[in-house]
Amino acid sequence: MKVLRDFILLFKREFIHALRMPTWLAVGISTPLLYLALYTPLLQKLAGGPGFPSSNVLDVFLPGMLGYLAFMSGSTEGYGTIFTLKDGQIERLRVTPASRYALLLSPILSDVAWMWIFISILVAVAIPFGFHAHITGLLVSLVLLALLVVVTGAFSVTVALLTKEIATFASIVSGISLPVLLLSGVLLPLSMAPTWMRIIAHFNPLYYVVNADRILSAGTIWNSTVGLAFLVTGGLVLATLLWATRVYKKAVA
Amino acid sequence: MNIVEAKKLTKVYNGKIRAVDELDLEIKEGQIFGFLGPNGAGKTTTLRMLATLIPIDSGEATVAGQDVRRHPANVRRHIGYVGQFGGADGLATGREDLMLQGQLNGMNSQDVKKRIEELIDVLDLRDFADRKCSTYSGGQRRRLEVALGIMHRPEVLFLDEPTTGLDPQNSANLWVQIRKLRDTGTTIFLTTHYLEEADALSDELAIMDHGKVVAQGTSRELKQQIAGDSVLFSFKNDKVNIIKTMQLFKKQPYIREAAIEGEHVRLYVKDGAEALPELLRLLDKENIAVKTMALSEPTLDDVFLRKTGRSLRDTVANGKGNGESK
Repeated sequence: MKVLRDFILLFKREFIHALRMPTWLAVGISTPLLYLALYTPLLQKLAGGPGFPSSNVLDVFLPGMLGYLAFMSGSTEGYGTIFTLKDGQIERLRVTPASRYALLLSPILSDVAWMWIFISILVAVAIPFGFHAHITGLLVSLVLLALLVVVTGAFSVTVALLTKEIATFASIVSGISLPVLLLSGVLLPLSMAPTWMRIIAHFNPLYYVVNADRILSAGTIWNSTVGLAFLVTGGLVLATLLWATRVYKKAVA
Repeated sequence: MNIVEAKKLTKVYNGKIRAVDELDLEIKEGQIFGFLGPNGAGKTTTLRMLATLIPIDSGEATVAGQDVRRHPANVRRHIGYVGQFGGADGLATGREDLMLQGQLNGMNSQDVKKRIEELIDVLDLRDFADRKCSTYSGGQRRRLEVALGIMHRPEVLFLDEPTTGLDPQNSANLWVQIRKLRDTGTTIFLTTHYLEEADALSDELAIMDHGKVVAQGTSRELKQQIAGDSVLFSFKNDKVNIIKTMQLFKKQPYIREAAIEGEHVRLYVKDGAEALPELLRLLDKENIAVKTMALSEPTLDDVFLRKTGRSLRDTVANGKGNGESK
């Protein structure tokens, strides 16, 4: 019960923080909308062609975008970790009897919540432009994306705790993010890619999530690709959380 | 009763840097205990180990009767900690932050409200408690941070460099408030590299250097160990004269130590009042013109100098820390 209370208290705090950072909010809302406005027009001529079987490119592009948003929302969390490490907030909270899990996970869960909000706005804006929204598929997709945020968030926080300073942290995280994003098909489906790229992509967890997103978004739920994505992401949730808690208990000094 | 006890407490970084080296410590309940030493002496590391923030590599420690290594969660219920960087939340108001601190410590909402009002009075937070903390001045922020540390009425409060970065007036105010806290029964364990702060504030203090306590006792006891006074001279002429003078001083049996401090020469003598006339006669005979002369009773810096061979003032001024805190 104490743990649940700590989770609620700390989650509330993190969630409200975001509301008090109008610039962060504005960027969070506008990023996906900018992709929608300034990137999808480039794809229009591909509609019905390779990689874009539907007559509306949004049906393929938007689910990929969701994977991108979730990935980024988690992987940037470490910046916040470094700031709160530097101004002593992490130390201060660690000396309280608050649950260690609640301390570690509350910023990540707040990211999940905000990611859902941003995605809902994106989907709501995309529907009038012809995006075919399958509600059940989208909801399952939101769960999968939440797991992805936990993975990238826990990873990012742990790297932040280990590096303890922005420059190294930023190089590591952006150095890893770029190939992961390019090899996942978030912007253009990898079905258009040469075989070697598709082979490498199979080692990329985000690839599974993006594939599953596209299938879910088309309304199919019971599907082996979707199952595989949950399996891969779920396994990574356990692995990253285990790593994060170990580092969190020891390395904050 | 000792509220904090440590036996052979040790922290080793990178397998070889002994940041804290077999430290023994006994702190009595209800006093202000000052931990004085230069940056890098291991003060913060000791504090962090006792506050359950970093693992103890070897040795034992208890805080409020709880074993720090075996039951860190129990320790946390009895302590407050205000780090060098405080940890106030810039995006929250002081009141909100205090509320969170109370709730995380398991206080009920009625108690939280009552306690916040108390702290607003004690630490004089009224004017800004409902403003976002990012708008606070340094002194206001520090007061809020102390309030956060004592929100749950801990038995032991750890304060790491409480007045670093504060102007003298704010420091003095904080001293008053720290004493008030002590008078309500809280044991306060503070680190500082300010001699004046350690001297004025601590009921008892330990001087730390290179991971070890080099002296412990009340300020008066420590100064008495020096058993002597210091005399500070400056001369009318240039350096050559000083060196000659030093040689002369070193020949005098009643001068225990002579050291050049910038343009001054400091002597340690057993009894300053007796030595002064003697010294003046000596200098007069050698035709050395004295510009100024001052007699002083021993300070904590003299204690530090005696124990370590270095002056704390110089250490603090020259070495801006060798990575003790982060």
